[in-house]
Amino acid sequence: MTRRVGRLARIIALGIVVAWSLFPIYWALKTSLSTNVAAQSTPVQWWPGHLNFTAYQALFGAGPESQDAAGGIARSLINITVEATGATILTLIVSVLGAYAFARLHFRLKGVLFYGVIATLMLPVYATLIPLYRIMADLRLVDTYTGIILVYTSGFIPLAMWIMYNVFMALPRAIEEAAFMDGASTMQAFRKVVLPMARPGIAATAIVTFLFGWSQFIFPLVLSSSSTTQPLTVLLAAIDSRDVPYTIINAAAIVAVAVPAVIVFFLNRWIVTGITAGSVK
Amino acid sequence: MVAPLVVFIGALAIYPTVLTVTEAFFHSDPLTPPNHFVGLGNFSAVFENPQVLHSIENTGWYALFGVVLTVAFGTGIALLLQRPFRGRGVLLAIVILPWALPGVVEGVIWSWIYNPTFGVLDSALKSAHLIGQYQLFIGSHQIETILLIALVQVWQITPLAALLVLAATQAIPDELYESARVDGANWYQHITRITLPLARPAIAIAAAEALVMSINIFDQVYVLNAAATTGSSLMSQTYFITFQDLNFGQGYALSLFATVATILLSLLILKVIYRKVEYS
Repeated sequence: MTRRVGRLARIIALGIVVAWSLFPIYWALKTSLSTNVAAQSTPVQWWPGHLNFTAYQALFGAGPESQDAAGGIARSLINITVEATGATILTLIVSVLGAYAFARLHFRLKGVLFYGVIATLMLPVYATLIPLYRIMADLRLVDTYTGIILVYTSGFIPLAMWIMYNVFMALPRAIEEAAFMDGASTMQAFRKVVLPMARPGIAATAIVTFLFGWSQFIFPLVLSSSSTTQPLTVLLAAIDSRDVPYTIINAAAIVAVAVPAVIVFFLNRWIVTGITAGSVK
Repeated sequence: MVAPLVVFIGALAIYPTVLTVTEAFFHSDPLTPPNHFVGLGNFSAVFENPQVLHSIENTGWYALFGVVLTVAFGTGIALLLQRPFRGRGVLLAIVILPWALPGVVEGVIWSWIYNPTFGVLDSALKSAHLIGQYQLFIGSHQIETILLIALVQVWQITPLAALLVLAATQAIPDELYESARVDGANWYQHITRITLPLARPAIAIAAAEALVMSINIFDQVYVLNAAATTGSSLMSQTYFITFQDLNFGQGYALSLFATVATILLSLLILKVIYRKVEYS
């Protein structure tokens, strides 16, 4: 009897967890697929009636409700993709090379440099926001992809380096030593032997880094002054609900949710690896 | 191999941090040049500003709600997912999802939930007869506003806490639970005597991460509270002073204060909660 009660309590608790995690997203999706009238009914309609795609058509510049405020969404989608992808690639190159050097090579000031990089993990956004804006302004990189990607990369490197460092430390040295015995140079051993073995770790780092890139807000808010570089997040925050119907705002939110949601559903194993590898110190 | 990394961190992390530290003591305002040394002038100016003091108080509330709720929910979820069962993988993906979404998007989604005219929260509370008429949730009462905005961030960062604690529970050897069962321990004693003490290092790290993120709360505040004082956070106040009022010197002073406070408080919370765990 108590066992059955315990099991029931467990199922209810799991149901609450699922509802807590998914309901807000369901609600935005339901609103985005409703007509304006249905979305604004009181009391609310819990289920979508007839599915209605006009909000999405309006977002992408078709249909009668197309709005200026939401009109830049296609461009902001391109921007966020370029910025998140560019920062991910650059972060991976820099941090994989650096992490390997820290894990395997011997060089001067290694200890100081390593702890210097790790220490920047503790720096909050406050520490660098204003100076980075001024540096980018001096370099005339405000409102450019280059400026945004450089700033993102500098913020993502410490965590990526830390994850990759742990990945490399966990790889057995014996395999590289066998490659050295066969006459391989450090670079050859790194490319032919180490990188293939580190692939799962690199995938985890790439996925987590891309998600960070997709989520950025305060840096692009400060660094991108026009629609040429504004990512979807900045555009979304600028939409005013007095000008744009709630159905369209929620459709724009769902567009921004879609990419991370697909990544989570197909690649969650790597996300778990990445998060736990990056946090357990 | 390490050169690009060092250049990046040196030029775009260490150098800016040094700038924040030094510039906080200068008058630095693009509207009224030139820049000159003002000692603690920026600090006394910001700490005499009632809006700044209000945002510091608010940030204390954000941190309190953020840490307590995130650690409680995260640990609860980890305990539920501790033992393998059919469908755990899917459930884990569902739990992770809010963590992967941009804070701004979450702000937009929740602002629709909290909407005072058409919002689902008002509608549900009224249908359940918990409120007589529709309420304005955000912007009328300080603590209520902060709690509801904090909840949006808690929704985002709870998965991180859950994963950290879950990873720690997976490392606990089964024999411990088995010998406890032989001794007649019940479910509650399993959790309070074995799981929670052994997961304590992970709980400490989860608490420290929640603290850092809640002291830095910005995206959700920007969307839900805008420039109002009711729910302003230290970060939103810093943003408005720096990039709207263009008072860079005061922005630097606030940034330096927040940086030092973040680092000290996270070390403190680790020191208080963290205990090394050894299996023998």
